[in-house]
Amino acid sequence: MTSTRTLPPAVVGPTPRQLRARLRQARRRHHPGSLGEVLTDAYVVVLFVALYGWFAVAAIRDHLAAPQVARTDPGDRYWIAVAAVTAGAGLVWWGLRLTGPLLVTPAAHAWLVSSPVDRRAWLLPRFGGLVGGGTIGVGLLAVAAAYAGGLDRPADLAWAALAGLTGGATATGWAVVAQGTAPTPHWARLPAVGLPAVGATIAVLVVLGHATGWSPPLPPVPLTPVVGLVLLPVALASTGSAYRRLPRVDRAALTTGAQFANAATTAAVLLDPSLLAALVESRRWRAVGLVRGRPLRAGGRFAVLLQAEVRRLARRRGALVGWAGALLAMYAVAVALPSIAGPAHLVLAYLSTGRLTGGLRAVSRSAGLRRSLGGSDTLLRLTHLVVPGVGATVWYLATLPALRPVPVALDAVLLLGVVTAAFWAGTRPPMRYGGAMVSTPFAMVPVDLVRQVLRGPDLVAVLVVVQLLAG
Amino acid sequence: MSTLAVRGLTRRFGALVVLDDVRFQLDAGQIAVVVGPNGSGKTTLLRCVVGADRPDEGEVLLDGRRCDETDPRVRAAVAAALDDIDFFPDLSVVEHLELLAYAHGGTAEPVAEVLAELALEPARDQLPATLSSGQRRRLALASCFVRPRRLLVLDEPEQRLDVRGRAWLAQRLLREKAAGTAVLMASHDTELIDRVADRRIEIGG
Repeated sequence: MTSTRTLPPAVVGPTPRQLRARLRQARRRHHPGSLGEVLTDAYVVVLFVALYGWFAVAAIRDHLAAPQVARTDPGDRYWIAVAAVTAGAGLVWWGLRLTGPLLVTPAAHAWLVSSPVDRRAWLLPRFGGLVGGGTIGVGLLAVAAAYAGGLDRPADLAWAALAGLTGGATATGWAVVAQGTAPTPHWARLPAVGLPAVGATIAVLVVLGHATGWSPPLPPVPLTPVVGLVLLPVALASTGSAYRRLPRVDRAALTTGAQFANAATTAAVLLDPSLLAALVESRRWRAVGLVRGRPLRAGGRFAVLLQAEVRRLARRRGALVGWAGALLAMYAVAVALPSIAGPAHLVLAYLSTGRLTGGLRAVSRSAGLRRSLGGSDTLLRLTHLVVPGVGATVWYLATLPALRPVPVALDAVLLLGVVTAAFWAGTRPPMRYGGAMVSTPFAMVPVDLVRQVLRGPDLVAVLVVVQLLAG
Repeated sequence: MSTLAVRGLTRRFGALVVLDDVRFQLDAGQIAVVVGPNGSGKTTLLRCVVGADRPDEGEVLLDGRRCDETDPRVRAAVAAALDDIDFFPDLSVVEHLELLAYAHGGTAEPVAEVLAELALEPARDQLPATLSSGQRRRLALASCFVRPRRLLVLDEPEQRLDVRGRAWLAQRLLREKAAGTAVLMASHDTELIDRVADRRIEIGG
């Protein structure tokens, strides 16, 4: 029989380095992977990201230098870009908080991190990778964006790099500080809401100004040096604070992100994004917790299902915000980049309609749900197409003035095409494994995955071609 | 001084109050069983006690001090088998247990004994993917017994155990109690509760 021992106050155990060595040693017994294999995989990924990244940057730069873009007001373009970067920063912050950003896998937590091992020392390599990767990654992204935007003087690119580096370090540092603070501080929730709100406000002002014939002037000094220099001490302070907070990152904070990372890994391994979406959905509803229930009015299957669909939508404010955000984005694109407003209109219409197809996706994914609801599958799917259809129509008509003053016959075709594409995407069946595989530069990919990913966007691509041909 | 004290613990998910002002104490060598209907918050309570979840209000004290999971002394004292345990897919049963014993500053000495006690000896070299749900449950329980502990937290430990396994579990819990370990567990098994519990903590009634 094993016995229970009373521990002395001081805890003596292996160091994180010793513990990791022990884990590696045990794993190596089963699959002796070499460092060369890891480096080869990393090389392939870096090569493809750099290759396609360069193509994208060059294409955007060429497009922005084209005469039809150069004719638009530089002040409008500049401030719309500022709005997009600001809103994007808010979304990055939301992503960082969603994933931790520091995390350990559930297995590592259960068998290693739950022991008295020094937490700061255990998390330090991950922290270094996170801050280093975040800083360098955002720095590179900023340089690429600046170059794509037409800047090519070394000084301009250097200031963009500084803004990116300090922005990346600030975001990752404060995200770790927030993670290591219990209860979660109020300020940690602000950037995810505040930055997109600021970005939206800037975009609204530019769009309204454009409509009245006024364009905001370019700032007297470029913003990147200001942002870079202001954020420099903030970045250093946030990184230092985060380092000091590492021992305070608790199990709840580590495992919350780990659940997300685990789902993301499973989704990546099984090539099934719906696994990740299911977790995000579950988290969203858990945060709501309780809703006010009212009886649904009797009136036949169609009426009851429709009421339920409307009620679910009213509870998903994020979907409505996304729908409205796409509407603002359309007007912003029309002001800053009128040359791509037509295709952007179709893509944004598709994306905004997709935000309203939660019910359609739910009934299409689950045969059990369809059985319990009763009625034919066609009726169920068509019932859940009413809200997306109405939403798409309202969105399309509300954004049409950004393209042309009055609707033309083609608009009816395009609107119908957008609703059909949303229906096509929303009725994706669950992934089938074990089917045919296709060889890609990255790996063998199931044909069904390609079919799943393209289902919806393929129809939008056809609509874009139709629109371009129709002039 | 109580080994474990829970004061005014409240946990909400949005507007839903799952735990409302839960209070209890647990001394060394006592077994307390959390009972309540499905959805009453038993698992949430245990998760808050071990630090896997953060309560909105209230506090958990271990030996009169705030039970802070980031404190290595707390992690050394609290052994838990909840439903969120995961395994390294490439490590065998025995390697998991040896690794955990080592992480707690011990040796592999108790591992063989625990394997035998939990009838996991035939599966000692199996990888987790090949284990049945009952064997995985036993491995989760074994993880609590190859390391030092002063507070043992178990979430429905009888789940997926066969008749012999349940009989063993009752014996094991009584031995833990005799050795001075405080045990906090959630259970629906009235026979097990009647046999081992010193007190019941009813929630969600």
